[in-house]
Amino acid sequence: MKSSQAVNSRKNNVCTPFDFLQEDSLMRFEKMRMRRLLCTSVCIAAIILTGCRKKNNETSISSGFNGESLSILVSTDWMANRYDATIERFEKMTGATVDLQTIPADQYGDLLQSKLTSGTCTDIFWIQSNPFAIKSVIVDPENYCLDFSGASWEKIIPPARLTSCTYDGKLYGLQIWHNSPEYVMLYNKTLFASLGIKTTPKTYAELLKDCGIISRAGITPWFMPGADGWRHQLPFFQIGGVYEEAQPGLYDGLNSNTRKFGGNKKMLEVLANFKELSDKGYFGKDWIGTDSTNMANEFADHKIAMTMENSSYIKQIKDETNTTDQFGLFLIPLGDNDTYPTNPAGPTMFGYKGTKHPELVKAFFDFVTTTQSLQEILDNSPKYTNLDVLDDKIQQKWLPEEKEFMDKIDRSKMATPVLQTGTKYTNDYWMNFGADMVAYCLNKMTANQVLENMDINRAASAALAHDSAWN
Amino acid sequence: MEDKMNKKSIYPNWFLIVPFLLYIIFFLIPALLGVVYSFTDWNVRSRGNISFIGLKNYIEIFKSNKNYASGILNTLKFTVISNVVKLIPALFLAILIQRGVKGHRIYQTIFYLPAVLPFLVIGLIFKSIFNYNNGLLNTLLSYMGLPAQKWLSDLSMVWKSIYGVDAWRGIGYCMTIFLAGLNGIPHSYYEAAEIDGAGFWRSFWHITLPMLTGAITINLVFGITYGLKVFDIVYVLTNGGPGHATEVMTTYSYQLYANGWYGLASALNSILFVITTIIGVFVVQHMSRQEVQQ
Repeated sequence: MKSSQAVNSRKNNVCTPFDFLQEDSLMRFEKMRMRRLLCTSVCIAAIILTGCRKKNNETSISSGFNGESLSILVSTDWMANRYDATIERFEKMTGATVDLQTIPADQYGDLLQSKLTSGTCTDIFWIQSNPFAIKSVIVDPENYCLDFSGASWEKIIPPARLTSCTYDGKLYGLQIWHNSPEYVMLYNKTLFASLGIKTTPKTYAELLKDCGIISRAGITPWFMPGADGWRHQLPFFQIGGVYEEAQPGLYDGLNSNTRKFGGNKKMLEVLANFKELSDKGYFGKDWIGTDSTNMANEFADHKIAMTMENSSYIKQIKDETNTTDQFGLFLIPLGDNDTYPTNPAGPTMFGYKGTKHPELVKAFFDFVTTTQSLQEILDNSPKYTNLDVLDDKIQQKWLPEEKEFMDKIDRSKMATPVLQTGTKYTNDYWMNFGADMVAYCLNKMTANQVLENMDINRAASAALAHDSAWN
Repeated sequence: MEDKMNKKSIYPNWFLIVPFLLYIIFFLIPALLGVVYSFTDWNVRSRGNISFIGLKNYIEIFKSNKNYASGILNTLKFTVISNVVKLIPALFLAILIQRGVKGHRIYQTIFYLPAVLPFLVIGLIFKSIFNYNNGLLNTLLSYMGLPAQKWLSDLSMVWKSIYGVDAWRGIGYCMTIFLAGLNGIPHSYYEAAEIDGAGFWRSFWHITLPMLTGAITINLVFGITYGLKVFDIVYVLTNGGPGHATEVMTTYSYQLYANGWYGLASALNSILFVITTIIGVFVVQHMSRQEVQQ
């Protein structure tokens, strides 16, 4: 509007010899103004359109859910408080009410199975998923799970994790989990330095030597809380990569029933390493009867030097004890392992096919996968330093110790997943294997019997699942 | 004669119908169904397709790598030892309290208190007491200059710890039943025996024990059924460990249910049911016969 007035006023003016110049410059000036106007208009239109699109998206989420209730069945710690703010926003936006049913971990599996088989499951349920869990835990995903194939949030799940969310080419689950180093060796750097240990052990022999130094100082070298029941198996299973390296094709063989745990030389070596550490008292005087309740304090009091933990535990020790000690991470050196425990498993959300609110369920999955929600989930997860999602806009909070540790690891050593999630039916017998390991350490079983029991148990599960590889 | 007695009864027999129906629906049918399921391949993946497989589950129990047989033996061992450990001290404590030892009412309350505590709480308390590094027991031992013990992880010690905790919890309960029995014995019997020159042990042997048959029967039946069904105390203290050293039938059964082997778990429970029934009926009949003779 302004530019057309300028042209008219120019036409009414008296002509001069320099008019053509003036006219030319005026024309150029007008063109520039037009361009600016056009650019501004395009920008405004883009902003309005983006805003509209966002508004349209929100409108599509918010429309028609007033008064509806969305029930979620979850085990303790899988959602904890980290979803509270996001759920609150979802409730405000949709008008729906979220009914969160948090069940103690030891009862969750049985309760979920009974709810699924009796047709009384909640709109959303969770499982601890891995590449085989959808079939082995949910049993009949076609019948129990909403098919999310083609959902926009599929692109945020990293390919390694996607295997825990899909079955038979269909997308069923949503896994939002962290990728911090899980259950690697965590050690007290300050204590190591004070004992003259300059580098972390890279082989079993080095570990044994360092344990000797630490033990002679009256400190428990490797704190092993056996009474927890689920921790002492970790050193064996977390180093799946070393078994695969020792016997290439082992994972495929174990999954196609052409290879066995029983008789595996590397596994026997690792179990022997474990027993030697137990016999020498390097796990503590009564590791079988000790639990992890007081672990953080024991670290700060220099009563223990190392343990297997997540990297986030460093922060927990510092927060709980106010220690000024420095901590670090290194790979589990049993069996001379140098592989990283890549674990594509994690708590995963599924929509129940029998839900009366399928659109509300889909809206919830869409909502929690927006950048804002993901950031909110991470911000409300004090235990985790990152979310393993493909969204560059997320502000991750990696610890310096994590960075230092991860930078030292060769990418090729991260290729093999941990044994419990990389092989079928193995994770189902975690506790049984742990009890067998204790029996082995008490000389009530041989190492090979421990491994053979795993084969027998896996075969039983395969028979239940009518797995053709075992029939 | 019988007709007359029936006519004099305050409540008519049809009053029994409701409780009897409830008993059949909620106890008898599920128990029998459990036995029926023990002959099937019912499992977590059956989804309604359950087939009869005869005695396969029972054969599996005795042939399996899980060593269920040791679980059965451990259960029987626990039943015998836990009853001995509880009943004998409970009887003498009851006699002491009944004879009016100073402050007997306080003792009675103190001894009974553990019986009302939930097993979970007992487990937490005793796990702390048994802690190797800073538990109460090992601290006391170190004050006395004695070596610390691995109460729950040493194979030679773990069962003793379980019996100890079980006795701590159960003695007060058994003692209360014995006290009720002792209060029913006329004091004149003891006075007469004393005049005849009988000492404590002769009175105990010839008056107390025979007159307490009813209380002993009750304690034995309760103790045996509790012992055969034992789960909580083992679960909270050791969860069947260390290794598989303290596995009993019910901990194995629990694992089987948790892993989805419902048919096999039912078979294990059916064996437990048969053993409990045989022993229970035998004890009741034997003790009743003795009571009639006396």
